[in-house]
Amino acid sequence: MIETQIWFYTGIVLLVGGSIATAIGPGVKDPIIRTLNTEIPAIGLSLIFLTYNHTIALLTYIAASVIITMILLRVVVRMEEMGAEL
Amino acid sequence: MLVPELVPAYTVSLFLPALYAGLITGFIGLLAISFQKNDLSALILTDIVGLAMLVIVASVGTDLAEALILPGLVVELAEIMAISEILMSREMRKTGKTAPLLPFPFTADMEIMTTAANFIAVILVVYGVFLSGFTGGAIAGGGIIFYVISRKSRGLPIKIWEGIAGISGIAWAIWLAGFLIFFVAPDYWLLGLFMSAFGILLKVASKMGLIGVMAREEFKRE
Repeated sequence: MIETQIWFYTGIVLLVGGSIATAIGPGVKDPIIRTLNTEIPAIGLSLIFLTYNHTIALLTYIAASVIITMILLRVVVRMEEMGAEL
Repeated sequence: MLVPELVPAYTVSLFLPALYAGLITGFIGLLAISFQKNDLSALILTDIVGLAMLVIVASVGTDLAEALILPGLVVELAEIMAISEILMSREMRKTGKTAPLLPFPFTADMEIMTTAANFIAVILVVYGVFLSGFTGGAIAGGGIIFYVISRKSRGLPIKIWEGIAGISGIAWAIWLAGFLIFFVAPDYWLLGLFMSAFGILLKVASKMGLIGVMAREEFKRE
């Protein structure tokens, strides 16, 4: 039998490690890489929600994180097309 | 620590690790923002701070946490959307260039948008009203967005919905009044429940409808 706490601590490790990766990880000068790195703490947060049985919050969060990623990628691509300094 | 009896010991044992993880994550995010010179990177790092906020709220671990996470998510989404629009319009004003609204080739001439637009929109709105509450609002709003987009892609004029913002405000007031009834007059809990449920339905549906109207304005401007 798998301990439930495995999911919780995996979530915490992904959350903290992913946020460090987003802040100072390799290649984060490129905003697209930084945006993709934010997916790691998002998975960690989903695992934490899962441990607490927050079902509706988990479902809403999955939908919202997809929308947030789309908004961020859209702003990155539009700024690059306008020739902004990134 | 003051914990009610009905909270399981397991949840209580997870409280401190979750709280510390949230605080550490928030600290990392805020530190990175303070060292950041680029506005776009600061916007992306705001997302990390939002995640830290959600972990701290989730660590309460009861139904109250679930009820607080949903507005937190909506606020975070709206904040990122608004700041990204501000960044883009500032850049447009500075360089004088414009960029397409959607940066990928988006041709919305699918057959479903010409043949079944009304039918699908009506089905979604009716099902959303039947569900009521937050989920129903999202579904009904999706129906409204679908209707606006499909009318637009056919090149037909759309009625201007100036009143939607007013409906949204009134629905917000109904929602608050419903909550007030819960506390002031608990005997009328059913009335309060329905007022809250349909207030939030109208609120969310009209918010998502407003997103559709906003997108249409931007199409028209180009």
